[in-house]
Amino acid sequence: MTQTGTPMESTVGPGAWHDPGALRTLRILHRSGKLAAEYRAVPDLLSRMPQADLPAAGQLLSRLDPTEVRRHAPDVPVVSVAVTGHSTVAPVVAPLTAELARHGLLLEPKVAPYGAYVQDLMRPSDEALPQLTLCLLDAYTVFDDVTVPWRAEDVEAAARAKLSLLAGAVRAHQEAGRGLLVLNTVPLLRRFTHQLVDLRSRARLGAVWREFNRGLLSLADQHPSVVTVDLDPPVGEGVPACEPRTAQYARARLSDPLLAAYAREAAHVVRARLGRTRKVLVLDLDGTLWGGVLGEAGPQGIELGAGLRGEAFQDFQRTVRQLGSQGVLLAVSSKNDDDLVREVLKGHPAMVLREDDFVRVNANWKAKHDNVRDIADRLGLGLDSFVFVDDSLFECGLVAERLPDVAVVPVDEEPALHPSALLADGWFDLFELTEADLERAGRYRTEALRQEFREDVGSYQDYLEGLGIEVILRPPDESELARVSQLTLRTNQFHLATERLQVPQVADWTAHPGRHVIAVRARDRFGDHGLIGALFLRREGELLRIDNFVLSCRVFSRGIESACVAAVLDFARSTGARAVTGRYLPSPRNSAFASFYADHGFAVLGGDGDDPDAVHFRHDLATVAPAPAHLRLDAAFGPFDAATDGHGDKR
Amino acid sequence: MTTALADPTEFRILLEEELGLHVDADDLDRPLDDFPDWDSVLLLRLVTVVESLAGRRIPVADLLQARTFRQLYEAVAGR
Repeated sequence: MTQTGTPMESTVGPGAWHDPGALRTLRILHRSGKLAAEYRAVPDLLSRMPQADLPAAGQLLSRLDPTEVRRHAPDVPVVSVAVTGHSTVAPVVAPLTAELARHGLLLEPKVAPYGAYVQDLMRPSDEALPQLTLCLLDAYTVFDDVTVPWRAEDVEAAARAKLSLLAGAVRAHQEAGRGLLVLNTVPLLRRFTHQLVDLRSRARLGAVWREFNRGLLSLADQHPSVVTVDLDPPVGEGVPACEPRTAQYARARLSDPLLAAYAREAAHVVRARLGRTRKVLVLDLDGTLWGGVLGEAGPQGIELGAGLRGEAFQDFQRTVRQLGSQGVLLAVSSKNDDDLVREVLKGHPAMVLREDDFVRVNANWKAKHDNVRDIADRLGLGLDSFVFVDDSLFECGLVAERLPDVAVVPVDEEPALHPSALLADGWFDLFELTEADLERAGRYRTEALRQEFREDVGSYQDYLEGLGIEVILRPPDESELARVSQLTLRTNQFHLATERLQVPQVADWTAHPGRHVIAVRARDRFGDHGLIGALFLRREGELLRIDNFVLSCRVFSRGIESACVAAVLDFARSTGARAVTGRYLPSPRNSAFASFYADHGFAVLGGDGDDPDAVHFRHDLATVAPAPAHLRLDAAFGPFDAATDGHGDKR
Repeated sequence: MTTALADPTEFRILLEEELGLHVDADDLDRPLDDFPDWDSVLLLRLVTVVESLAGRRIPVADLLQARTFRQLYEAVAGR
């Protein structure tokens, strides 16, 4: 929206998005010793802080004692990170502290001694497992093994040897089950290339170097819990790779600005790991997806396609569409007349994005924060899944103020800069794309059809009966493990024990005797929901334990969750179990389902010495309620385990 | 921070504001080893901060060899 709307009473005025006073406020808090006590206010301060001030903020924040912060803000999630690497790695702590604080997270770093990274990775598992290990590599990872005089061939040999050493260390780290590991590609420095005076050798060195980086990148392909952050893009956009003096005197071989860029990427990895990947992109129209004001210029008059700026807007639409093609749900919130907007979405020849690309188009004259909330309600998603893009600072400010959970991306009057503004923060980064991601937008559109149907029928029960829901429970096959893992990583509401599992951990569950992973699929007359849930079952003597139960919020309130419980109880009884237990581990987002097991005939057992934070429930199988009558249940848990009588069971 | 590091007091303010390190005036001549919070990472950050502030290069090797905050100040202020 570029037009100035009716002035509204608000603390957010026009002017710059970034607040140059934010660092000053942070300093005052620090000086008065109140920073730990006020830690909850930090993300907001950082979100408006000019990027150039973030390193200074990181310094102040990294001086805080995490224990002290936790005392004041026990609900702030703590991220334990082990930092190791080839050279001096401690300088990454301050920028990483700032980047995690921007996302409301508290860093608990553990920095390894200088140069010990190979031993560090190969060491057997420690008791206090960090959530994440960062292993920082730099050009000296190879060049420390090269002696003068050298040729490109010598670098090739050193790089090969180092890569194979690293590959072994990474394998040991992964096989020891030590969790997520972040590596990085290594920028080649001019101070090395230009020590070769013949141009042919210099080119050869470049090729050898890329081969080393290719090897580092492929480690992420070989190990599902390894991420390789590519440092080529930031270096390519002008971030200096190295500061020769600190490299020389302090063996700090990656420059501060590059460490800051790296820390931003590492924070995205953490966010993805914690299930905080955003899911919905809400876009403004005038000034954001096209130039000009539709209400004044009309569909033919907007700046799109033709002309320099028109092409730039089109390019931004391509960027948005590319995100949409990977499961990011696109929606519109625009102060415009709905019929005009529909006309452009349907008919404008230069539109890249069409009506079908959006799961919701809210074009009206209501406040944007109300529209974003409406979109969230209709999609059944939390506001912390949302990213909002607008070229009006007024609208951005208002949404940020009213809906602090929404990530706000202000774009400005230069459309050529829209793509980099949108992508600056990797809001939608995730570990692995699954089929469900690719089909997501279609599913949400089908959901809109279901809602229309629901508005047509008399009662909710009539609606459920009319849907013709079918629920299918099966152990996941190999190709479905990624989707099961993703459900555990991304689901926050109906996630009764909120256990985040990477693919290998899910595979481990399925392979373990006495354990079952059961994938939940559902479909109805409007379409296939796909794989929307998972149950993690564990047999312990005559008990069948539901250790965790996760269900996508898309399918709440249709009896699917009750059908799952009925199937588990039935399975337990038919395989000789005496009781079924359920486990609920409170998280900030799953409280709506605290009494789920109690509502399904389980008795509360309370806490457990080994598992003190969880609440346990028990069902004695005396009376098992059948699955809701409005749906059809098809459950086959597979051959059951040796813990009971060992016969195959096909219920 | 917009000071030109005219005197040790401004240097102490800079340490507090930029590095989050509180140093009393009396502590300027105490050995750096007495300050458990002081480390080489802060020193590297100090180089970046002072250089962007002063717009000139400071001798990093001298800084690394300083034994007190006053010596650090003298190195960064070019005295």
